[in-house]
Amino acid sequence: MAEITLVEAVNRALAYEMQRDPAVVVLGEDVGMNGGVFRATVGLQERFGKARVLDTPLAESLIAGMAVGMAVQGLRPVAEIQFSGFIYATLDHIVNHASRMRTRTRGRLSCPMVLRSPSGGGIRAPEHHSESNEAMFATVPGLRVVVPSSPARAYGLLLTAIRDPDPVIFLEPTRLYRLVKQEVADTDDALPLDVCFTLREGKDVTLVSWGAALHETLAAAEALSNAGIEAEVIDVATLKPLDMETILESVGKTGRCVIVHEAARTSGFGAEIAANLAERGLLSLLAPVARLTGYDTVMPLARLEQQYLPGTIRILAAVHKIMEYA
Amino acid sequence: MSVFTLPDLGEGLQEAEIVTWHVNPGDQVVMDQPLVSVETDKAIVDIPSPQAGRIARLYGEVGEVIKLGAPLVEFDESARAPDAGTVVGEVAVGKEVVKEPPASVTASAAGVKATPAVRALAHRLDVDLSIVTPSGPDGLITVADVQRVAKILSEVEPLEPLRGVRRAMAGHMALAHAEVVPVTIMDDADVQGWPAGTDITVRLIRALIVACAAEPALNAWYDAQAVGRRVRKTIDLGIAVDTPDGLFVPVLRDAANRPDAQLRSEVDRLRAGVKARSLSPGELRGNTITLSNFGMIAGKYGSPVVLPPTVAILGAGRKVRTPVAAGDGVEVHELIPLSLTFDHRAVTGGEAGRFLAAVIADLQRANR
Amino acid sequence: MTTVASFQVRYTQFLDQRGEPTQPLPLLAADPSRLIPLYRAMVLARTFDAKAIALQRTGKLGTYPSFLGQEALAAGVGNAMRPEDVLLPSYRESALMMMRGVTLAELLTYWSGDERGSDFSAARSDFPVCITVAAQCCHAVGAAYAFKLRNEPRVAVCVLGDGATSKGDFYEALNAAGVWALPLVFVINNNQWAISVPLALQTAARTLAQKAIAAGIDGEQVDGNDVIAVQHVMQQALDKARTHGGPTLIEAVTYRLSDHTTADDASRYRDPKELSEHWAREPVLRLRNYLTHVGAWSKMDEEALLKECPERVAAAVEAWQAIPPPRPEAMFEHLYASLPASLAPQRSEALQSGARNG
Repeated sequence: MAEITLVEAVNRALAYEMQRDPAVVVLGEDVGMNGGVFRATVGLQERFGKARVLDTPLAESLIAGMAVGMAVQGLRPVAEIQFSGFIYATLDHIVNHASRMRTRTRGRLSCPMVLRSPSGGGIRAPEHHSESNEAMFATVPGLRVVVPSSPARAYGLLLTAIRDPDPVIFLEPTRLYRLVKQEVADTDDALPLDVCFTLREGKDVTLVSWGAALHETLAAAEALSNAGIEAEVIDVATLKPLDMETILESVGKTGRCVIVHEAARTSGFGAEIAANLAERGLLSLLAPVARLTGYDTVMPLARLEQQYLPGTIRILAAVHKIMEYA
Repeated sequence: MSVFTLPDLGEGLQEAEIVTWHVNPGDQVVMDQPLVSVETDKAIVDIPSPQAGRIARLYGEVGEVIKLGAPLVEFDESARAPDAGTVVGEVAVGKEVVKEPPASVTASAAGVKATPAVRALAHRLDVDLSIVTPSGPDGLITVADVQRVAKILSEVEPLEPLRGVRRAMAGHMALAHAEVVPVTIMDDADVQGWPAGTDITVRLIRALIVACAAEPALNAWYDAQAVGRRVRKTIDLGIAVDTPDGLFVPVLRDAANRPDAQLRSEVDRLRAGVKARSLSPGELRGNTITLSNFGMIAGKYGSPVVLPPTVAILGAGRKVRTPVAAGDGVEVHELIPLSLTFDHRAVTGGEAGRFLAAVIADLQRANR
Repeated sequence: MTTVASFQVRYTQFLDQRGEPTQPLPLLAADPSRLIPLYRAMVLARTFDAKAIALQRTGKLGTYPSFLGQEALAAGVGNAMRPEDVLLPSYRESALMMMRGVTLAELLTYWSGDERGSDFSAARSDFPVCITVAAQCCHAVGAAYAFKLRNEPRVAVCVLGDGATSKGDFYEALNAAGVWALPLVFVINNNQWAISVPLALQTAARTLAQKAIAAGIDGEQVDGNDVIAVQHVMQQALDKARTHGGPTLIEAVTYRLSDHTTADDASRYRDPKELSEHWAREPVLRLRNYLTHVGAWSKMDEEALLKECPERVAAAVEAWQAIPPPRPEAMFEHLYASLPASLAPQRSEALQSGARNG
C-alpha cells in the first residue's frame, strides 16, 4: 500500500476501473499525451491506447454532449472538464439530457457517465479557475454530486461513481490535489455513495463540511479540543442524494451544528442542510444552525483569495459564538 | 553541466559586449533560440543556443565585455525542471500523511426534547429542563410544562448553595457512590458481660484493631486507576464526628500502638478539635479505615458509606437491651448492633465476614 | 453535375523568414521609417514578456501566459486599429493590449491577481482578458451589433486562438456576424498549440480561415510573423467593416515559442526540433533584418533600444510594486452599482476578519 495524493488516487481509480471494465473511456482536453493539466490521467493513454483515452478539441459543450451519447450507447465515459469555470458550458447537456435520460424514456435508456472537474479555489489561479459550483448541480433531479476530501475517499468514491448507473458530477478539490498523502490500497475498495462519513467523534458540536474546507474544519476541531470542546466532524461527500440521517443523529447528540463551505453563502448547499435541520432536527438544537461560508461576492483573485476562503479562525469564531447559547 | 562559450563571430573579432540577455536561469531553451544580444564593431548580433536544455547560469552582466572562448551560458544537463503538475496557479505539495480511524456511525443518545424557543424560555425562567416532566407528544417538553415547573420552584424556598464542609461532603459522597461497590453485613455483639462504665468507643477501637490483625485486607487503600491495593501496616483510624457544620472525620494515628488511656484522650482531643475547628488539614486526612459510632445519636443498623481510597467502615448503632435466646429460654442482654460496609472491589465477603466476626469476638470479651 | 459554390483561401506574405520581400511591398511599408515604431513596440513587448516570466519564477506574479513569437500579430493588428474600435482579446494578447494603451503596470497588476488591472486607464471600452475560451467571440457580436445599431464607424476586433476555433461559441459568433453583416473582424492567433494539443488534433480543416466559408463570410490566411502582411490585411478588413462591408475572419499563422503558461512545461509534449525550426521564422529578427538591410535601422539604434526597453519595463515594475495592496472591502466594491443592504453585514464581517488576519 502506498501513500499517495488525492490526484494520484484519482489516477489510480481510473486505471483500475479501465482495466476492469473495457467500456470505460476517458475524454477531455490534454488528458492523453499530457496526462491532464493536473496529471489526473497521466499514463492512461500509454496503457489503454488513444481510442480509450481521448484528447478532444477545445470544446466543453461537446465533451459533455458526447459523453451523454457514449453513455446512452453503453460506454462508461469519464469526461474531464479542465477547470471549474469551464463547467458552465456543459449545463445544457448535463441538465437537459444526462440528468433526464432515464426518466424521460421510462428507463429504456440511461446515462451512466461521470463528469469530473477540479473545483474550488486557493491555488492562486487566474480568473474562472476557482469556482465552487456544487450547489448548482445539487439542485438538479436525477444527478449525483460527489465531492471527495481525501485520497482514500477520492479513490473509493470514484470507483463507485464510475460504476453508478446514473450520471455523477465528481468535483475534486484542486487545493487538496497534492496537499496531503494517505495510504490507499489499489484494490476493489469502492466506497458507498449517498452516505456521509464521520471523520471525528465529539459530543459538543457537529461540524459539517465537504471538499477542501474539511481541511480547515478538521484543524478547527483539533484547536477546539484543546479548549475543551469536542467537535464531531462529518464529511458529506455525496451532496446529492443527501444522507441527512447521519447529520441528524450527530446533531441529536451534540445539539449544535456549524456548516462550513467555500461556496458563496446564499443558496449554497449549506442552506439545504440547515433547512433539513430546521425541519427534522429542531428539537435537538441548543443553538441556531450556523453557516460559515465564502461571502456573497465573486471569488476574488489571488491577492484577496485568503480573505475570502473560510479559514480556521473564522470557523472557530463561529463555533464559539453558538457555544454561548446553552 | 556543460558550458557554452562565446563563439567566433567572424571577421577576426576577439570580444563582444553584452547588450541584453534574452533568457533567464531556469529557462528551458531549444537549439537556435536566441540567448543573448552582443555588440560587435559592426552590428548587434543574436547568439543562438547550441543545444536544447535548461539554463543553469548566465555569465556576464549587461555592458560586460566577453572574450572569444570565454564562458557565456551554463546548461544544466541533469534532470528537467520538476513537473509542476498544473498549468495554472500553484497546487501546493504537502508533506502531511493522513491517517483516519475507521469511519463509524455515531450512536444516538437520548436527550431532553424541547424546541429552541422552549429552551430559551426555560433559560429565562431559570428552570433546569432535566427536572421537567414532559407532557408533549413523544416526550416533548412544552411551554406549559416549563411554566408549571417555574411556578412550583417559585413557591418553594430559595436554593441554599452548599458551602464548606457540607459541600465537600456532597462531593465526596457522590464520588464514593460512583466508584465504590459497597456491601454491608450486619450483626450484633452481645456485651452483656461488660463491667459497668466500660468505655464503648475504646472497646470498639480495640475490636477494630484486633480485626485488622485478623483480616488486614480491610485496612487498605484501593487504587481504581491502577487496579491495585495497598494493605497498610499502620492503622490510622478515621473517627466520624457529627457537628452542626457537617460531618468530619479526624484521624487517630497508629491506633494499634496506643494504650487505652491514650486512645480515649486522643479521641477526646480530636472531638474537641473538630468542635473548635482547630485541627490542621493533615489531621483530617489519611485514614486507612473508619469507625462511625452513630449509635451515640440514634439508629441500630445502617449502611455507612465507604470513602475511597479506604475499603471498609464499621458502623456501631445504639446499645440496646434485647431479648436473646439463652439455652432453651429467653434472656434480656445488652447488644451493640454492628454494620460493616466493605468495598467489594478490594475485599471479599469472606474477609469481611471474618473481620466482623473478629470484631464481635473481641467486643464480647468481658474484659481486656 | 453542377458545382453551385466553390471557395478559395488567400494567403498573404510580404517578407520571408529572412526578412526579404517576396513581392512588392504595400503602401504602409513604402517608407521603412514607418515600420520602426512597430519594431520598437515588438521589442518592448518581448522584453516585458521575459520580465513577466522572471517575476512569476520569483513568486511575484501569478501564472502568466507568454506571447513569445506572436509579437508581429500584436503590432500589426494594434497599429491598424483606431482608438474608437474595441478589442476583445483572449488571455494571451498582452502585447496587443499594450498597443492599445494598456500600461505595463496594469498588465502586471492583473496577472498578479488584482482585479484593478482590468480597469484600464486608456482603451476604456476595450474588453478585459477573456479566460473562458472563445466566449469573447459572442461578446464581439454584441459589441459590433451595438455599433451597427447606432450607426457608428467603429469595428469590434475579436482575437482568439486556434483551440478556440473548436468551440461552439466561435461557430455561433461567425454565423451571427455573417447573417447580420456586422462590423467585426475575427483574428485567429494560430500559434499551432492549445496547451498540449497540436493543430492536427484540433481539427481536420486544412486552414482555420475556411471556417468562415461555412458562415458565409470572408476568410483569409496571413503569415502572422510578417508584421507588414498582418497590418496590411488587417487594415483592409477594418476598412471593409467600417464601410458596411461586413465581417472578416483572418487566420494569422504564427507559432507559440513559449510554454502554454509559466506553469506548463511544453517539453513534455513537444519536440524541441520543431521549436528550433520555428525560431528561425520568428517575427522580431525578421523585421530587424529587413530594416537593417534597407538602411533604416543601425547598430546604434539597436543598442539604444536594447538599453531603453529594460529600463521602461523596470520602471513599470517599480510603479506596479508601489501600488498599495487591495483591501478586503474591495471584494464588495463594484459587486453591484451600489451594494445591497443585505450584504452590509457580510462586508463588516470581511472587514473584521481582514483586520484580524492582518
